[in-house]
Parts: sequence; structure tokens; C-alpha cells
Amino acid sequence: MSGWLLSKPPFSKQYLTAHTVDEAHPAEIFSLAPTPTTLLSASGSSALRVHSITDATFPLQQTIPDAHKLGCHHVCTARGGAGTVAASVGFGGEIKVWACGGKPGAEDVKEWQLQWELPPSKTGGGDVWAVALSADEGYLACTTSDGRIHVWDINGREKIQTYETGARGGGSFAMAVDLSRDGRLTASGHESGGVYVFNNDAGRMVYSLSGLAKPVRTVAFSPGCKRLAAAGNAGVIAIYDMEHGEHVGNLTTPSSRPAWITSLDWNDTGEYLLSGSLDGKVKVWDVARGVCVATHSETDTALWSVRWLPKTERALGPGMGKSEMFCAAGASRSLAFYREATGS
Amino acid sequence: MDATQSSDVHPRRQHHSVLPDVSSEAVQVPPGTRTPAISQIEALLESIVDAIYTGDELVIPYRSVRSPNNGANSQSQHEENRPLDVVRFPGRTIQEAKKFEALFRIIEMSHEVLLSGNLITKRNIYYQNPDLFRSQGAVDDMVDNIAFTLGVGREDLGIVAAAKGLISGPIDLILRDGSIHSCDVTGDTGTLLPSISSIQKINFRATRWVLVIEKEATFRTLAASQYSTTSKAGHGILITAKGFPDLTTRRFLSVISTLRPQLDLFVLVDFDPHGVAIMRTYRYGSRRLEHEENATVPRLRWLGIASDDIFNETTHRHETSGIDNSQASQDTASQETASQASMANSFDSSQSKRPTKRAKISRAQARGPSESILPLTQHDRRKAVDVMKEVSGVGALNNDGAQQMRELQRMLMLNIKAEIQAVDNYGDSSEWLDAKLSKLIDLGH
Repeated sequence: MSGWLLSKPPFSKQYLTAHTVDEAHPAEIFSLAPTPTTLLSASGSSALRVHSITDATFPLQQTIPDAHKLGCHHVCTARGGAGTVAASVGFGGEIKVWACGGKPGAEDVKEWQLQWELPPSKTGGGDVWAVALSADEGYLACTTSDGRIHVWDINGREKIQTYETGARGGGSFAMAVDLSRDGRLTASGHESGGVYVFNNDAGRMVYSLSGLAKPVRTVAFSPGCKRLAAAGNAGVIAIYDMEHGEHVGNLTTPSSRPAWITSLDWNDTGEYLLSGSLDGKVKVWDVARGVCVATHSETDTALWSVRWLPKTERALGPGMGKSEMFCAAGASRSLAFYREATGS
Repeated sequence: MDATQSSDVHPRRQHHSVLPDVSSEAVQVPPGTRTPAISQIEALLESIVDAIYTGDELVIPYRSVRSPNNGANSQSQHEENRPLDVVRFPGRTIQEAKKFEALFRIIEMSHEVLLSGNLITKRNIYYQNPDLFRSQGAVDDMVDNIAFTLGVGREDLGIVAAAKGLISGPIDLILRDGSIHSCDVTGDTGTLLPSISSIQKINFRATRWVLVIEKEATFRTLAASQYSTTSKAGHGILITAKGFPDLTTRRFLSVISTLRPQLDLFVLVDFDPHGVAIMRTYRYGSRRLEHEENATVPRLRWLGIASDDIFNETTHRHETSGIDNSQASQDTASQETASQASMANSFDSSQSKRPTKRAKISRAQARGPSESILPLTQHDRRKAVDVMKEVSGVGALNNDGAQQMRELQRMLMLNIKAEIQAVDNYGDSSEWLDAKLSKLIDLGH
């Protein structure tokens, strides 16, 4: 039962459990953020952790103690970025921006260090929640409980944009945010079920997307920036076209009350979507065909975050192959790594 | 085991419509260890009288209890480094003169009741001179501040809050005036909980547990169904302070917790930040009334509602009700076919189901979390963070602290709150309580 999944040809793919880091944090893991060589994780405890993903045992590389006193609910890196900047938000409402650089005296050992801290009083009003980094690692978008999205210039350390989604400060809680890899669009998902897309060049909302009606917990742009996926309490994944702002389909399995989806991630080619939900199931979806091609349910406790690990040209480490991998984490406090079965 | 126990005790109790000889098996409630503040009060009155003779300014020392919100000084809490404030007469302003008069009246009334050996309620004080005091809240604050300044408890001044707590269950309270309150009255009203200083003895009979309930409505439902004698966990006592815990209820719990170490004590609160704060106030006391003694119940256990209760219940209901799809999750092939079909039509169906207001969720839907849970408000979210700061402020987390942090974090992550309806069975929470209480009582012994 450990790693084999339900899979039948022709519409299926096989993923195997590659490794599990048990008790990776002393509290529930709420968020994951990969870089090309590491995986950052945030939990209900105060420390952030960094695990190497270039070694088949995924060893702990760095612990950042006392990062967020009340625990951390979001940590992010740039999707498709260089992996030298990360941002995290604590339950206390503080944002921290981290940079990865050579350790003084030992330049080949990369370590994360605090670059910039925004205390709750400086985050621009409203309690901050979700964060996203632009692909060039220059901009940070963060949402607030009163429905706003603030965009910060990390190098200039100033707020360059605020998007409102309701009467001033009266919008619905923005639970999710993403930035498109081309830097052109910002998307937010709200408690009201609303999904909004903003054009960063014009600085205004371009689409108000309907279709979910229940709280939206995760939004993600496809790598090519042509599609936006959104999901949450409705238990279905809505796919929107970004050329015209149309709802082009839903990914769903038949169930009278599907579990709340907490996390979504596109793979690097944009063919597959990964989803994680409160019932502990992690699923891989073939977006073009609109079907679920793999389901893993090793845990029946909540999953809070699922992420593909960046695809590399060479094998990540000895014995690991160069197959696509992903990681799932949540209430079990462990990091579960999966890899695609090869040689078929 | 529990069932047999309750069935052989239960009929016997039912026949006791006439009071048993309660005094013989009753437990003596020790009189308060602290002496009434009569000497402090008299010294204060004397100093004022002296000042009148000498023609000096009249002075009442007066310090405010820390406000509940300034959590910053929880470490350096001691009053030594606070300046000793005073209220003067005639004072520099009209307000100060009025405040002096109000304080003087309270001190005078306290003196009277202490001499006579009676008690006076804060409500009664207010109605002695509503024009002077202007609001009940002002009286409440002044009483607590006087007690704090004199370094005594509120009851040492002979002042109590009006009875607010309710109790229901097979126990007898024998008051110092000789009257006996048997708390197993039928009906849903319960008995008003008297001040612990007025209770001489308590006859616990066969009670094994105490359940403190946040909500009066839940208390009434359980009292009406005689849950205290029909529970599978044996006989017990139900108590509510109707929302935020008052000092009388907390004192009562603190005293019975000490008197009866074999009693299992539980608290049932809503799954929301206020519920956690209320549970913590029962257990650890409130910051505002930190100067009051015997008002904490550290061994009170948090029965629920917790996030797991809500989601296990969901899964359970889902499994039992969803016959039509029980196969689907096992069978990937059919899942895929159906999911293709749903690609086509789900957009329309979700459109038509879209409610105009989020809170209005179709009654036709199966009961489940969507109906009995609500999103957190911004106020709730801030309250959750405040409570988390208090939890983490005490230093390294023990198991209880870690559990409280986890529940508050989950609340914020899920952005939901839930009342007892999230776990009950169409208004009947006894089944859920039976399971919970039996499990925890067995584990505890």
C-alpha cells in the first residue's frame, strides 16, 4: 500500500513513493516552495526548513529558526525562477523575504538569509495572507483578509500597486494569489468564490471569473500563461482561458461532496496539474483530456500543499533518474516525495 | 461497563423525589482562606476622616487593573513598578470629584455589608445610585480596581456579581443559611449557581464528571434531556456561565476541582477563537482578574469542538450517505469516464446553484459542514491571532499549548468556525458526548 497507485491504461500514469521524510516539522506543514535544488517548507512551528532535493534521501540542509513566532502559513519561491529568493508569511501577519547566497568563507555552501522584513504594521493595511513571487524574483504579490492584493518591488522595497476587489477595504478575503511567469498577470482567489485577474502593465482588473461559488483556496497560472486553474471548497478544478477570460472546463471526479482542494500546481510542460485536498488525496490531472490520471491516498489526514519539483535535464542524484517528481505535505507533518515510474 | 453502571444508579435516583439525608455524605466546603478586607476598608475610611479633620485633601488610592489587551507586559506584570495612582477630592476636575464620590459610596457599602456579614451584588450597588455611577460597567470596573488596589479579591469586599451561572445534575448544594439546593430539577432551566462563599457543603452523590458548556442553549437542551443522569459515561454535572465565564462560576469549578479530585472536568466550547479564549479563561484565569484567587481550573480538559470532530463527522456522513458514488473512488476507469462527462455540464450546474449570498446555503443539501460552519470574520481572524500570542507568550509549548496552537492555526487555514450543530445529530448531541466522555474518562483512569 505504500507507493502503488490506482492506475489503468490508457489514461493513467504511474507515480511511486520515492521517499518520505517523517516528522519533517514538529507541527503541521502548511506550505511548500521548491527551488531547482531544494524544497522549503513552512509549518505551525516557528522554524522554516530546507531539504535538499538532489539526494535520494532528501536530507535536511538548513533550519531557519524563529522565522515566524506564531508559525508560518505561506512560503513561496518564483515558479520557474532561479530559486534565490523566497518569501514567507507568518500567522502574526509579518512578511519575510529571504535570499539564498554563498556562506561567507564557504561560497559553495548556499544558505538562506533574511533580506527584508515587513512587520504587520507595514504591510499596507489588512491582514496579509497568501504570497506569490514573480518569475524574475523582483516582485512580491500578497493578499489581504479584506480582499486586496498588494504588489511590492523587492529591490526598491516599496509598494508599487494595490488591486482592490471590493469597495475600499471591503472585499472578500483573498485566500490565494499567483503571478504569471511572463509577469503580465496577477490572479487572486477569494472566500466568496470569486476569481479575479489583473493586468500588471495596465494596473487594473481584466477578468472577473465565475464558476466556483465556494471559497477559492488556490489559483495557478499555467507555465505558458494561457490558462488559469482555480480550486477550493467546491472540490472541482476550474480551468480558465487567459486570452478571453472564459471558463473552458472543470476537472472533477464524481462524488456527491468532493473534499476541499487546498493546493494546485502545474508541471513544467503545462500538461499536468497536481492537486491536494483535505481528505489526504493527491491527484495528477491530464489537463488536455480533462481526466485524473493518478491518485495517491497514503494518508487520510489533510494535505495543505502539493508541489512539482522543477524538472531537470540530468538526474537529480545518483539512482534518482530524471523522471518528474512531486511532493505532498500537510497534517501528517512529513514530506512525501513521489516520482514518475519510468521504463514502461 | 458504563451502561450497567448508569442503569443501576439511575432508577434509584429517580425515586428520590424526597431529598435523601444529604448532610451525612456531603463534602464540607472550606470557608475562604482569606479574611474579609474589613481592616483595609476601615483604615481607608479612617484616613479620609482624618483628612477632613486636618483639612487635607481627601485621597483614595486607586489603580486600574491591566486592560485585557495590553499583552506586552505579561512578563513584567508586577505592580511594584506601576505608580500608585490616587483619586482626590475635591480634585482637579469635576470628573475626579464625581469619581471620588462614586468610589467612596462603593467603599461605604462594602463596609456596611462586611459588618453585617452579608453580600451585595454589583448590580445592587449600581441601582443604589444610577445617576452617580452612570453605568453598570463603571461599577464593575471600580469594584475590581478597588479590590486590585487593596490587594484583595472582590468577595473579600463583600461584593459579588449577580448569579449568572446555571447548574444541572444530581448534586445538592447546602448553603450556609441552611437551605438546600438540589440541582436535579426536571426541565431545561437548571439552578442558578450561588456564590461559593455561600455554600457550606456539597453532596456529590454518584457524579463522576462535570461538563462546562459555553452556550446556554446547548446546556438547556442537555438539561431537558436529563443528560446528567442518562449519559453512558455515568452521572455528571452540567454547568454553563452563559457565554463568557464569570468569577462565580470559575470559583465554583475551582473549589469542586480541589474538593473532589476524582471528578473528571471537561469544557465544551465552539470551534472559534472566542471558544478557545473561553476555554483558556476557565483553565488559566483571565488577565483582568488575575488578582483574584482560586479562579482557575488547570485540570479542566478541552472536550471540543475540535477540527477533527468537524471533519471526521463530515467523512462519516459522506460515507454513509453517498451510496451512489461509493464505488467511484475505487474504480479509476469509471471515474475518468464520468469526469469527462462532468467537464461538459458542471459549469452550468455550478452556475445555477450559485447562491446570491454565501450564507444562504440550500437546505436541500445533505447536512454537513457547509450548513453548520461559517467563515471567520476579520474580527475572528484577529482574535485568533491574539489568542495565539497569549498561548505562545508563556514560553515553550507543552502538549496543551501545542494543541491550542494547532486548532487556532487550522481555524485560520480553513477560515471556518463551527458550533455544536456541526457534530450533533439533528439537535441531539448526546451520542457525540457519550462517545467523547466515555473515551476520555476511561483513558484518564
